[in-house]
Amino acid sequence: MTFEAKTSGSDDLKAIISAISTLVEEATFVATAEGITFRGMDPSHVALIDISWPNSAFEKYECDSDIKFGVRIDEFSKLIKRADKKDSIEISISEQNMLLVTVGKNKKYKMRLIESSATDTPLPKIPYDSKIILSSSRFDKILGDVQVVSDYLTIHTSDSKADFSGKGDSGEVVIELEKNTDEIGEISSKEDSTGTYSLEYLNPVVKAVGANAGQITCEFSSAKPIRIEFKVANIGRIHFYLAPRVES
Amino acid sequence: MEFSILADAFSKMELTTKRLELTQYLVELFKKTPHDVISRTVYLLQGKLRPDFEGVELGVAEKLAIRAIAKSAGLDNAEKKIEEEYRKSGDLGHAASKILEQKKQTTFIVEYITIERVYENLYTIAKLEGSKTQDRKIKYISGLLNDASPVEAKFILKILLGTLRLGIAENTVMDALAIAFTDNKENRKVLEHAYNVSSDLGKVAETIAKKGLAGIEEFKINLFNPIRPMLADRVKSEEEAIEKLGIKFAAEYKLDGERVQLHIEGDKVVLFSRSLENITSYYPDIVEKIPKTILAQKVILEAEAVAINENTGEFLPFQELMHRRRKYEIEKAVLQYPITVNFFDVLYYDGKSCLELEYKERRSLLEKIIKEDDFAKYVPMSYISNQNEIEEFLENSINSGCEGVMLKMLDKPYHAGARGSFWLKLKREYRNELGDSLDLVVIGAFFGKGRRTGKYGTFLLASCDYDTDTFTSICKVGTGFKDEDLDQIYQILSNKVTIKKNPRIDSKMEADVWFEPELVIEIVASEITLSPIHMAARNKIRKDTGLALRFPKFTGKIRLEKDADDASTNEEVLTLFKGQKKVAHDRNLM
Repeated sequence: MTFEAKTSGSDDLKAIISAISTLVEEATFVATAEGITFRGMDPSHVALIDISWPNSAFEKYECDSDIKFGVRIDEFSKLIKRADKKDSIEISISEQNMLLVTVGKNKKYKMRLIESSATDTPLPKIPYDSKIILSSSRFDKILGDVQVVSDYLTIHTSDSKADFSGKGDSGEVVIELEKNTDEIGEISSKEDSTGTYSLEYLNPVVKAVGANAGQITCEFSSAKPIRIEFKVANIGRIHFYLAPRVES
Repeated sequence: MEFSILADAFSKMELTTKRLELTQYLVELFKKTPHDVISRTVYLLQGKLRPDFEGVELGVAEKLAIRAIAKSAGLDNAEKKIEEEYRKSGDLGHAASKILEQKKQTTFIVEYITIERVYENLYTIAKLEGSKTQDRKIKYISGLLNDASPVEAKFILKILLGTLRLGIAENTVMDALAIAFTDNKENRKVLEHAYNVSSDLGKVAETIAKKGLAGIEEFKINLFNPIRPMLADRVKSEEEAIEKLGIKFAAEYKLDGERVQLHIEGDKVVLFSRSLENITSYYPDIVEKIPKTILAQKVILEAEAVAINENTGEFLPFQELMHRRRKYEIEKAVLQYPITVNFFDVLYYDGKSCLELEYKERRSLLEKIIKEDDFAKYVPMSYISNQNEIEEFLENSINSGCEGVMLKMLDKPYHAGARGSFWLKLKREYRNELGDSLDLVVIGAFFGKGRRTGKYGTFLLASCDYDTDTFTSICKVGTGFKDEDLDQIYQILSNKVTIKKNPRIDSKMEADVWFEPELVIEIVASEITLSPIHMAARNKIRKDTGLALRFPKFTGKIRLEKDADDASTNEEVLTLFKGQKKVAHDRNLM
């Protein structure tokens, strides 16, 4: 069995691990010849992360049989943070239950793997009526603006514009974005859609992936989950799913 | 197994105070429970995750639970709403189920709540440490609450907060196990033995479910699993002791220290208190010095750790030892409050149980195992063969700072977990008419007036009845309390308040507040009288009449080291009652 994967810098891996850490404490990755994937749900079943990191996104990638390996995210994260921006990171499994992590040219860590609790998490199958593409830093700002008055973000789209709003005890806020402006990449909606989502989940993941993501894509339908796509290393992606809040 | 089955059983048990009904519900529950989850079920229904001696504690505070409920409910101002609801119902579990009915946050999947999952989550919460522990706890709790029905949520929270007070005694669980798995309640005795040597009711339950009685009979002592200690009956005089024990027996000094069970294998030492709490961390000196004085590989020993005056070697009272009950700077306390370890029994020796050995054999084995030095000693013992010797021995023991003497039959085994007349304790006479103080359980209280407004002014106390496994009311007491005592007692009792009377409490008198029967205090009284109201030893002397204390007074001693089950028993009360009658009779003759 051979498994070796090497990134050219450390930013992408940092972003991925950081995103996962907002939801779970232990993560089981699956490595196949095609690349590395991860899927996990937070303990309250409100948010889900689905990551796909194809082999072509790596500087070097080799995997001759499918393997699963589990890590404690906070331990893995501490280790990865020892890498400078330009340091390559190579992970491999040679001996049983140990992950070998080579940071840069000469820093070699060994980390104990944990028993992987592989439960198959199904992805929500939802047709998305609306789609917004914007820069992740713009989206982060919007979340910050709404947070001032509310714990929840409501997104409303009609064909040419998107409203981001929030309402709380202290007051209300609306941020309107028009189609075809610098601020926004794309707005499209088959149907007018309105969804409300908890900032408690949105904020950490957007902060975690950070500017690294560049453009992000939000897709949702009325009173249905939202899916946010962050690009990683141009070819890979993180899908973040968040269940909506509904008025009962 | 679905958690709802357990929640339903809890709901039924909450509504009854009758022990027979509780037993019946438990039998039904145990019959439905798969064998590999029965130990977890038994821990959960006692509001625990593991046997006490392992010290696994949930430690979830109300504030944190409220935040978790708020997170699950996802309502605006959820915390405030929960607190309001909590104030109305007085029960956070109940408040949670109300609030969760209005929840707005949806989830991707609704997972079945199983006992396994609840247990696993709670266990994870108990073991969490490191950064952001609070936030992580909240996530786990709200994860469970998201999938729980309102009733399930209520009980999950009660377990988390330690307020699941179903009033199920260990004996009731064992009764139910015996009925469920052997169809015969009499077999409880066999279960009891297994429990006494293992102190692990979950393990007993699993064994009887999987292997039946045969498995239970094979139960062995395990090193580092505490054995439930043998207890002694109380006698009032030398004459009474001789009456009960015969003329030849052993007498030991009854030291006023902490009874410690030492489990030793090589250099590894684990110490358990009388109530089986792991107290190893309070005695680093024992851990360091004792293995060097032991001539055995694996042993379980019993000793009394006693504070001493280093200059004179005198024994100091129990209270001195309590200075060691701290988390920090224990090394300093060790120097400040030196002790000696005084061994008196051996329960296990190099792979073999010693419980079946006679007292004499155990004592002589003990003297072979330990090399005495300044720190490790034997409890002074003398073989007695007449009343003069016992009087002299008692005198000596009191002169050297002891409470009295322990009197032990020579040819009897170590009866784990049982109180009986194989061992007797004879204490120094107290200066009050009754001849002895009683240790009684606080079961209820009445609000005070005047200076005591806002505190409890009077307490309802109970003695322990072994036959019915209940706490029977015996008196109301309001004298002898200093203001500090009342403050301290109020503090201790504040987290023992129950909404309904615990089913083990037997009282006709209605208190303003009921407590879990846990706190023990020391009481003296002028005499014991017949009472139509109190339930102690009811019907034993006269039909529909119990015994009560006349002019009871608090001695100032809160017996924190005692469990309710160690309180004075009705047998003792009866003995005292009969004793005073004899005195009155004698006087009449003169």
